[in-house]
Amino acid sequence: MWTRINDIDRMFGAMNLLRSRMNRLFTDFDRSYGDDYGWKVISGGPKTNMYDLGEKLQIVAEVPGVAKEDLSVRIQGNYLELSGARKSDAPEGYRAHRVERGTTTFTRSFTLPTDVDAEKVAAELKDGILTMDLPKVEAAKPKQITIR
Amino acid sequence: MSEKKDLVTREETMPERSRELSIVAPLVDIYENDEEILLHADMPGVKKEEITVNIDNGRLEITGLKKINKEGVAAWEEFGDAEYRRVFSVPQTIDAGKVKAELSDGVLKLHLPKAAAARPRKIEIRTA
Repeated sequence: MWTRINDIDRMFGAMNLLRSRMNRLFTDFDRSYGDDYGWKVISGGPKTNMYDLGEKLQIVAEVPGVAKEDLSVRIQGNYLELSGARKSDAPEGYRAHRVERGTTTFTRSFTLPTDVDAEKVAAELKDGILTMDLPKVEAAKPKQITIR
Repeated sequence: MSEKKDLVTREETMPERSRELSIVAPLVDIYENDEEILLHADMPGVKKEEITVNIDNGRLEITGLKKINKEGVAAWEEFGDAEYRRVFSVPQTIDAGKVKAELSDGVLKLHLPKAAAARPRKIEIRTA
């Protein structure tokens, strides 16, 4: 039975491959579907993941080619706003054959499931990935209850 | 209609492991001047060690593995682990020995210098 499932899986793999080939033909074709990367995906904002680690929340965002200085994060209670600008890195004196990586400014705001301690938020930018660690406020942290 | 039935069950060969990572074509910009072709590719989340650039017989292949630390419970996930892969045809006149690559802020910058013979030459016109 497993081998059959693998066959189906491979078929989907082949379809994905076709889709990514098509994407190369039509830059905008089907961009919003699946894992394909594109700046146009969510109305100009970067893709994000959010994880709940109990003591803190973690938001991870894909921001390739955005300098640290061009990113800003604002937090108030359970509201987080990530904004930034991607500037052109087109070199001087070159002819452009293909330009797919757009320049853009974006703002994305999130309503977090709990309030976070804005003072203790840590944000790190590495390899085009922004990681924000957002410690929850004391009241929102999970508590161990001792049973008497 | 035959009643024939296979006495031997068909042997299910183990097919190759299907790929678990989705392949994503990175977005690229391609520039050219007289000395070189310059390629910028967006590869967020890829470490320097995880990038390979192969030039073989007029074929340039860029691959990179993106791995993301996942901890805790995901509230939402818009991207995951992926393999970036894209193949280009490059002219044979690229000097493969002098190709330089740099990675900054998740952007791969690849300098492909043209061989000296392929650079445009300025012809001086002499008066007879």
